[in-house]
Amino acid sequence: MKISFTSKQYVSLASVIFMLAIWKILSMHFDSDFVLPSPEKTFITTLSLFGDSHFLAIVGSTISRGLIGFVLSGILGVGLGIIAGINPHFNAFLRPMLVTIRSTPVIALILLALIWLNPGSVPVFIAMLTMFPFICTNVIDGIKSVDPDLVEMATFYRIGRNRIIRELYIPAILPFIISGASSAMGIGWRAIITGEVLSQPRYGIGTLMQAAQTFLNVDAVIAWTILAVLISYGFEKVIRWSELKLIIWRF
Amino acid sequence: MSLEIKGLYKDFDEISLYRNFCIDFPEGTITCILGPSGCGKTTLLNIIGNIIKPDSGTLIGFDKKVTSYIFQDPRLLPWKTVKGNIEFALSKDLPVEEREKLTDRFIRLVELDAFAGYYPSKLSGGMRQRVSIARAFACPSDIILMDEPLKGLDIKLKLNLIGTFSRIWQADKRTVIFVTHDVDESLLLGNEIVVLSQAPVQIIVRQKVEIPIANRSLDSNYLKELKQILLNALGK
Repeated sequence: MKISFTSKQYVSLASVIFMLAIWKILSMHFDSDFVLPSPEKTFITTLSLFGDSHFLAIVGSTISRGLIGFVLSGILGVGLGIIAGINPHFNAFLRPMLVTIRSTPVIALILLALIWLNPGSVPVFIAMLTMFPFICTNVIDGIKSVDPDLVEMATFYRIGRNRIIRELYIPAILPFIISGASSAMGIGWRAIITGEVLSQPRYGIGTLMQAAQTFLNVDAVIAWTILAVLISYGFEKVIRWSELKLIIWRF
Repeated sequence: MSLEIKGLYKDFDEISLYRNFCIDFPEGTITCILGPSGCGKTTLLNIIGNIIKPDSGTLIGFDKKVTSYIFQDPRLLPWKTVKGNIEFALSKDLPVEEREKLTDRFIRLVELDAFAGYYPSKLSGGMRQRVSIARAFACPSDIILMDEPLKGLDIKLKLNLIGTFSRIWQADKRTVIFVTHDVDESLLLGNEIVVLSQAPVQIIVRQKVEIPIANRSLDSNYLKELKQILLNALGK
């Protein structure tokens, strides 16, 4: 068991080395930092980002936008999802809205948000709109998956409605909320950075990417991208970890 | 004191299950209800447990009674431990220490002390049903309603659970209404056995079992004779 686990890790490592090798070969082929800088140069640029006097403000702004959007869409998604899961009429009412939001291209939402909102709020708004449908749909599915026999059991034992929601519905939908949060986060970070590129708030990874692109600092564009990937990966890890902590009965 | 149902009428899916049906349950005893499947045994339990309303009829002596249940499947919350599942059925009106005491006592009685902190997914089917038995007894109810809790279990497990159940019941003597389709189960557990007919339901046979529950053996002549009477009534 343990051996197969480490062998899997070797394969993953090989995949990373493979990508770096392709990158290196391509950078040697183009032989221009304005087209594709080498991996090692980009790596140094990435490290130098940490030394930027505004580094914390930049990364902090992007992360806090993501978190605010995530919390808002979480509250909205869980709240509306529970109501829709219990009430089929409300579900029918909500469904078309969710489908509309989901199928609208993110860029269209951003363009509209740029007209309506100030630059700092655009990424938050976009993050919320992209994450909300995922969380909401998962909560609705979660509520529908609740075992009616358990609800009947609780009714037979005269358990009050509040306790049924707290001790039966919420734990039952928790795995669905977490998997919804995971897909929402994955798509949310991309949307936030796109939003930042176009809305140009004072601080933000997207703002800096756009600036670097304007001056053809390709290494900086890639360096910020690597940072964005790391942030997204970090949050995915946090979600997986909280899954282990919150859903202990499954493991 | 006796619990009584008088003049019960209940239709279900356009079948009239009960038409002027009467039955009584002596308190502090186990009454077994035998009957063909689909004759409305579960409906009767649900009427007694106040989950569904009869079309008409009077229930005498039930109004202030609290019921607890043992279902065919254990119906445990997967996210609560053995202890948590039993506590779940206890009213929050009880003080915490009282709830702890009750829970611990019945976990011991069903011999799951070593598993109190386990989640249901880690328990065997028989252990889960024992948790469900403990939950029903720990709940300070007046009546325990059982809807075929031994159905589908193998004979060894069945006898084991019957043993557990009767041991706890001896110390507790709660009123139990036990619905089953298995004659042997009723012979081992019932103080009285009632055989119901197909819908519209009537009582075909009602028999007292005069041997104390702890001393029963299916091989005894008395139970063999009784079994024959019940089987005949069921038309088997």
